[in-house]
Amino acid sequence: MDPVTIDTTKIRMTKRKPETALEKLEDTNLINTLLAAKDREGFILLTTIDQAMNWGRLSSLWPVTSGLACCAIEMMAVSMAHHDIARFGMEVFRASPRQADLMFVAGTVTKRMAPRVKQLYEMMSEPKWVISVGSCANTGGPYHESYCVLKGVDNIIPVDVYIPGCPPRPEAWLYGIIQLREKIKNEGYGAKWGLNK
Amino acid sequence: MNSAEELKYLLPNSVVSVGVQTNKPQAVIRKEDFLKVAEKVKELGYDNLSVITGVDRVDRIEVIYNLFSYKKKQNLALKVVLDHRSPEVDSVTSIWKVADWLERETYDLVGVKFNGHPDLKRILLPEGWIGHPLRKDYDMNTEQFVTIGEDGEDIVSPDGSNLLRRK
Ligand code: SF4
Repeated sequence: MDPVTIDTTKIRMTKRKPETALEKLEDTNLINTLLAAKDREGFILLTTIDQAMNWGRLSSLWPVTSGLACCAIEMMAVSMAHHDIARFGMEVFRASPRQADLMFVAGTVTKRMAPRVKQLYEMMSEPKWVISVGSCANTGGPYHESYCVLKGVDNIIPVDVYIPGCPPRPEAWLYGIIQLREKIKNEGYGAKWGLNK
Repeated sequence: MNSAEELKYLLPNSVVSVGVQTNKPQAVIRKEDFLKVAEKVKELGYDNLSVITGVDRVDRIEVIYNLFSYKKKQNLALKVVLDHRSPEVDSVTSIWKVADWLERETYDLVGVKFNGHPDLKRILLPEGWIGHPLRKDYDMNTEQFVTIGEDGEDIVSPDGSNLLRRK
């Protein structure tokens, strides 16, 4: 067989100006977004609204008031004026899980407390996030060999961000909160498909 | 003469031995006479029972009562040595009211039975927990989980499928 040769003279290098309505639409990025959404059988509207929703969610994360052990003392320090989580819109610790979208699991999850923590998590309305704070909530920590402590809160509820430390310093909390904001920013269809950046 | 020696002088037959443990005078009491000795000690002015501890020494179980007198500003520790298989001692709730909860705690974690206690049941762990965890022979290999029942009561079971996430 003859080797394939390409006649380069036939390739038009200049881009034609869009003339018809369809060509004009193709020229914008919107058509690509719509086509990408159509390929994935997804929700076209959500891809663009997601961004706005994520912004709203991450700017007013309200944690539920719940502390389990010594790490909860550090949670109080974080919420006070010196470290000031009000700048993330998070200073409103809600007394009811129905009004909260974030749970800090701050402290030792004992066997007896575990079903209560799970219930609290289930009572929170969607969307909801969990930050596990301290070695106790992450793995059992100092009480890993104990008869009455759960070996990590991720055994009972899903966790988004783990903050190590015993207890973690407030700076570590703030870093963890920033990681969660980063995560929320990248949620939804738009971000998943590489659109809406 | 410290407070334990004073007790030995007053009740020579009931006090087995005296000594000092972590700077506190300590008297080892015969368990049959324990209630009688406790009454005497209360009369001597030891009005505050601060803590009751149970210790598993593998061949025996010791129960230690830490007392303090506000009048004399003195400490005294009473100790009874019990049989490991069936640790039983008389309750002192009739003498010190606080012993109610302290004895329940010792019962819960070490498994000492206090005869004459008005309401001897677990205080920290939920009812239905198997074993007394501060015993040296406590089985650490079977995990026990707690779930909440219909009426909000705790249910203990080795099967945690209601609680744990499916992975
Ligand atoms: S991680 Fe450390 S500070 Fe936090 S609850 Fe556990 S023991 Fe306390």
